[in-house]
Order: sequence, then structure tokens, then C-alpha cells
Amino acid sequence: MIIPIRCFSCGAIIADKYEEYKKRVEKGEHPKKVLDDLGIKRYCCRRMLLSHIDYIDYVIELENRRGAVG
Amino acid sequence: MRLKILEANEKNLVLIIEDVDVSIVNAIRRAILTEVPTVAVEDVIFYENDSPLHDEILALRIGLIPIKAKVDLKFRDECECNGKGCPMCTIYLRLEKEGPATVYSHDIIVEEGVAELPKNIPIVKLAKNQRLKLEAEAILGRGKEHAKWQSGIASYKYYPEIKIKEDCTLCKACVEECPRNVLDVEDDKIIVKDELNCTLCKACVEVCDYNAIDVKGNDRKFVFKVESSSSLDARDIFIKACDVMIDKAKELEELL
Repeated sequence: MIIPIRCFSCGAIIADKYEEYKKRVEKGEHPKKVLDDLGIKRYCCRRMLLSHIDYIDYVIELENRRGAVG
Repeated sequence: MRLKILEANEKNLVLIIEDVDVSIVNAIRRAILTEVPTVAVEDVIFYENDSPLHDEILALRIGLIPIKAKVDLKFRDECECNGKGCPMCTIYLRLEKEGPATVYSHDIIVEEGVAELPKNIPIVKLAKNQRLKLEAEAILGRGKEHAKWQSGIASYKYYPEIKIKEDCTLCKACVEECPRNVLDVEDDKIIVKDELNCTLCKACVEVCDYNAIDVKGNDRKFVFKVESSSSLDARDIFIKACDVMIDKAKELEELL
């Protein structure tokens, strides 16, 4: 849905780094390099960003359409 | 006990602790994870929430945001207000936003000089005409109660001691095998270039056909790392953890 605030395993804050991560990966940078630059060292935290699917935008889109109809 | 500080800033603290038992070091680690008091949101009152996330999920997300308190708070159950909540034990926060927008942690309004919130943590996204309005109360708590009060992450390892014996034939198998690039060759000798990086995996010992390398962890010397969740400075976390242990020892002494 939306990026979790903390890493599930260790509890480090990861959400504040997500937007930069997303922007840079979409520009074509390798996720490994971006994660290293952001200082995310442990693999528990790295998988939080790597495996995240941000589908809140789709949900919002749905609500927008529903609003237009009813 | 001897201490050497390798790195100390707001976020990280790296220490070498010498002449100490593993039980003491582990006690400090556990105190950092579970006993050091920090501030986090406990109660959230929703006035309006049209966002795609439910109240409960939003309240949890807001709770997980670390809050840097600038005033000394009391525990709510030890406060003069008898647990009702007053400015001595509570930090009051407000949040109001209308979409289309992303609601960030820095959108939360708090009285100046009382607390500081981290920047750029997305809480939720709002579509057009969706509104979010809430009030929240942040209180002092301990990590053992809920992970949102965990002051930081602490870990230690035995100090790695790597010895290269005279049987070495300089085949360089260990240099290639090491996954952390700890070893190197210099002046026809295998040297330890970065022993702090060694994780004691002993891959080099296994690959050596001549038993010429020996890796051991010193169980009286430790590399101790603290990573703050940014509600307290890493250095303060360590000091407060030690204070907690001293208090506990005193309590035990009194009971005896």
C-alpha cells in the first residue's frame, strides 16, 4: 500500500528514504547503488525498499473515479 | 573496563569496549533495545479521515514516527495528573491537510521548543477533496512495551584477532576467499588491512591448506555499535542505558 515507516525486522526508519530511492531508480540508477548511497546497510532494511510495491496511488485513482460517478 | 570511541555522531556510535565480560555488554545492548525511555504517539483522536487508510493503520504509522523531545517529560503513570495527561507528561500534536497531497511527518504541528519531528516520512496520500484532521498525544514509553519506543538498534561482536603464522606460503588463497576484503598482501607478507571489518566467518582458515592462519574472537574485547532511531542522540542512548542498569542494580541492592 504505502511504504512502511520502520523496517519490520530491526526497527530502523526507512520511510524517509523511499521517495529519493524511487525517484533515482525510476531515472535508471541501479537499486544497489542507490541503497548504498542512502546508507541502508542491513539486508533486512534493503529488502523493505527493494520489494515494496506502492499501490496507494491506484487506490486513490479508484476513489477519484468513484467520486466522479457518485 | 576501557573504552575507545571510533565514531560518535547524532545517528551512530561505534565503541571498542575492553576488559569486560560479555554479560555486561549484552546487558547494555538489551537496555538500549527495551529500557531507554523515548517519546512516541500513543493516543490519536480522528476528527476527519477520508484517506485510503483506516484510522487504526494511520494511528500506528503516526506512532512509529520517532519524536525528538526537547523538554523533560515524566512517565504518565508517575505524573502528578494521575495518568489523565498533562503538559508535564504529554506532547500534544495536530495534523490537518487536504488533498490532493502527500501527508508527511513534517506536516504534523507541534508547539515550538517542545519537540522536533523528522522530515520526509510519508504518512498517507490524499486524493482531491479528501481531508485528514487529527490530534495526537505523545508520551514517554519503553521499548519493551512497544517497538515504537525502541530508542535504537544496538549490536556487538567479539573483537577479531587474526594471526598469520610462519607456515604461510603466500598462496593468497585466504586473500581471495575473504568476503569482507580484510586481508591483503604487502612486502611478501599477508597483512590484516581492516580487522574491524572481519565477521569471524573463518572462510580464510578453512581455505588455508597449511593451517597458517588463525582467526579468533577476543571474548574480553568488543566492538559495540549503536544506531539511533533519531529520537535521541546515539551517545545519549548509551549513557541512558547505563543509567538504567545502575538504577536496576541499586533496586536489587535495596531488596537484598
